[in-house]
Amino acid sequence: MHYIKVPKERLAVVIGRKGSVKKEIEERTGVRLYIDSKDGDISIDESEAEDPMGGLKAFNIVRAVGRGFSPEKAMRLIDDDVFLEVIDIREFAGKRKNSVRRVRGRLIGTKGKTRRLIEELSGADVSVYGNTVSIIGDFLEIDIARNAVTMLLSGSEHSTVYHYLERRRMDIKIAEMGVYYEEKEPEEKTDGGSE
Amino acid sequence: MVKWGVAHIYASHNNIIITLTDITGAETLAKCSGGMVVKADKDEGSPYAAMRAAERIAEAAKEKGINQIFVKVRAPGGNKSHSPGPGAQAAIRALSRSGLRIGRIEDVTPIPHDGTKKKGGRRGRRV
Repeated sequence: MHYIKVPKERLAVVIGRKGSVKKEIEERTGVRLYIDSKDGDISIDESEAEDPMGGLKAFNIVRAVGRGFSPEKAMRLIDDDVFLEVIDIREFAGKRKNSVRRVRGRLIGTKGKTRRLIEELSGADVSVYGNTVSIIGDFLEIDIARNAVTMLLSGSEHSTVYHYLERRRMDIKIAEMGVYYEEKEPEEKTDGGSE
Repeated sequence: MVKWGVAHIYASHNNIIITLTDITGAETLAKCSGGMVVKADKDEGSPYAAMRAAERIAEAAKEKGINQIFVKVRAPGGNKSHSPGPGAQAAIRALSRSGLRIGRIEDVTPIPHDGTKKKGGRRGRRV
């Protein structure tokens, strides 16, 4: 059993129209969801799931929806290589409401420009909700998006972050060619030898 | 014959450590970490390293006659990150792919009931 609490206003999204989202999560991961719609407690029963990862995946999907993602985007987590990362803004901006609000604005940008650019250039999905920034993506995508977000949170200028994102696009291209791990290891070895 | 073991997976963002024990947890049968399976330091916490480490553990488990395992996943916890790094999922998947039956998966991240101050100081980490 896994337990998770989602904000009340996101509870309706977890359930979906006539339970469609809940049903989809249950079908695709093999778990049972028990939702307490009064206080937003969700228990995930994975005892009948065939896939040992089912419980964890369902947990992550529910958590992602609770952190502001649409169910469609959260369903990316069904994939084995896709992970969820949740960053607390308060760790960087302090506990004051106004400073969290200000930093949140910096992350989203004018008409969502900054968030859109982070999403497009890294390939990850980003959601800014309440006191958290959440990222869905594979290992590399999350790495890039997380770095971009933490740079913004700790006060870097937007142009710096955009430059960083542009620079890291090469890494994505290399990874796409499927030589990410095979190529890198021998490369690392020759580096060590020449020093 | 069914023989149980416990795989303790400690997955931080920068590394992964898997320890295989018997069910009491007192007797370590095998252990493997990210640094033992990849060359570059930055890859120690990657899903790939986790996979390789889990494969090694699975091999050792089979040698010892263990065919079913409980999994205890752990993040750094305390005043550090409470959610396991990306390696945790990859490790569990690799364990189940290599023929071990997975029993219960449990999160054993140490959660403080209000503990000590997070490192970094008032003005945060200054690079």
